[in-house]
Amino acid sequence: MVNLSDEKTVSISGVSLSVRIGRQSLLDNVSLNVKEGEILSIIGPNGAGKSTLVATLAGDMTPSNGTISYDNRDLTELSIQDRAMIRSVMAQSQPVAFDFSVQDIIKMGWVRGSDIESTSRYATALACIVEDCSIAHLLHRKFNTLSGGEHRRVHFARALVQLWRPETCSSRGYLLLDEPVANLDLAHEIRLLKQVRSLADQGVGVLLVLHDLNIAAKFSDKIAILQAGRLACIGSPGDVLTAERLTRIFQIPISVDTHSLSISYY
Amino acid sequence: MRVIAHKAAKVKNLSANQTLTLISLLVFAVAIATLACASGSFDISLWAIVQGQASALENNVFMQIRVPRVLLSGFVGASLGLSGAALQGLFRNPLADPGLIGVSAGAALGAAIVIVLGSRFGVGATLGAFLLPMAAISGAALVILLLYILTSGFGYQGVTYMLLVGIAVNALASVGIGILTYISSDSELRGLTFWTMGSFGGVTWALLVPALLLITAALLAMVPAARALDLLQLGEIEASRLGIDVGRLRYRVIFAAAVAVGASVSLSGMIGFVGLVIPHLVRIVGGVHHCYLLPGSAMAGAGLMIAADLIARTVIQPAELPVGLITSAIGSPFFLWLIFRMKKL
Repeated sequence: MVNLSDEKTVSISGVSLSVRIGRQSLLDNVSLNVKEGEILSIIGPNGAGKSTLVATLAGDMTPSNGTISYDNRDLTELSIQDRAMIRSVMAQSQPVAFDFSVQDIIKMGWVRGSDIESTSRYATALACIVEDCSIAHLLHRKFNTLSGGEHRRVHFARALVQLWRPETCSSRGYLLLDEPVANLDLAHEIRLLKQVRSLADQGVGVLLVLHDLNIAAKFSDKIAILQAGRLACIGSPGDVLTAERLTRIFQIPISVDTHSLSISYY
Repeated sequence: MRVIAHKAAKVKNLSANQTLTLISLLVFAVAIATLACASGSFDISLWAIVQGQASALENNVFMQIRVPRVLLSGFVGASLGLSGAALQGLFRNPLADPGLIGVSAGAALGAAIVIVLGSRFGVGATLGAFLLPMAAISGAALVILLLYILTSGFGYQGVTYMLLVGIAVNALASVGIGILTYISSDSELRGLTFWTMGSFGGVTWALLVPALLLITAALLAMVPAARALDLLQLGEIEASRLGIDVGRLRYRVIFAAAVAVGASVSLSGMIGFVGLVIPHLVRIVGGVHHCYLLPGSAMAGAGLMIAADLIARTVIQPAELPVGLITSAIGSPFFLWLIFRMKKL
């Protein structure tokens, strides 16, 4: 894969992740890249390796072969702290053992120090993000008392806090979202995706795992379909989302209105 | 001025309430330590000692008996309270207590091996004083590592699983101590018996100083891990995505807790429930943040342990209650209450 050296991308090339038990390969020779300011959506049936792909890109697991690079720097050369500064991940949430408030959980995303200067930056970032995510009324609640959808929104806000950087910073960073809209009601789903869109417009590179094909069609610049650990197809929504291909991969009759790019499957 | 103070508090991540609580806990610990130095079966006027007007006997009791005893109980309380708080954070488990999960038992077994077998292999008193805490620390470290390996991957669901492992480890350690008791001579048996009780009596400066240095080092090593322990509550993977080196954090907490608990147990025996009760009380008063919880648990542990020891040695004068009896009498109902509360959640 050829990357122009001045082009900022997270790329994952020739990665195949294998699990020795049962010799099953979770990801097999998957190559893709996300440019700054671009939204790439990953779709595919359950067990296709979507979450594994996110975890591998995030650096949680090491691929058995292939390389991952952020802004042309190999992931293995980045320290744990460097990784936290360059990409932010939102995954399925786990319960928290003690009674932290929503405010505490969001602050955990702040990876840019705690001296006086960065503390005042945090206050600015927090005010902005709380407003954008409309979670001001949740800030003083105990995190464990929130609903599943509210958990997602708080974790999203935390991911944004982690991604926040001064205006002068040339790189806007990367956001990896594993099913960010699971458990969200319609209004919050659209609101979150619009926020993602506006982040991408500011230069953030976004990789999304989605289940809703219509949402993927509407909000993505590129779509990749994973099937059984392999990259079945990658390209613009119009090219990737064809009735014949979707029907074959998801194994239910799917029709696509190519004019408005809307997908029906029931 | 107020702005600066406000900003300073923010940088340290402590709320005003938490700062106030920490100061109160420190004042409480110092006050109770002063009271404990003065009272006992033999009341001493601290004022006379400061002025140099005390009798030789008073001076002797004060310097050779009271001060070491109060220091030891304070440090053991601090190390058990802080280790409990740090282990609860590391295991993401509100029921982790060095006693309940078998860490103290591992340390006691290590110490018991040195007491019984050490004398047979001709280990001298000087080497013994050094070997005893080392063996206790190794025992504690072994148990924490074992627990970590056995309960990793269970995450938050591992709460009950960890207690079950604790039961097994406690049982194993008591088998070991039982065998050692069976084969021990009369003098060795006397030395062993004090582990089953837990006591601060009979401590000397020579034994005290190395343990105090070890405990201080362990406490200092744990406090800087506060932010990392906060983030760990999101899960190990989330913490590492936020820039925390989870592997290093794990070994720092395991090693520091093993040193603190091992050194404590080697001098005072097994004192139950302190590591469970203290962090919960401190959380109820001021919140769950580890930058407050860790120093708070150390101070509250010190103060309450000195108080418990003061009660133990004054309530049935001239005889003395084992201090472990008092902490367990308070701790076990508290443990039941915690379980009852978990059922409601």
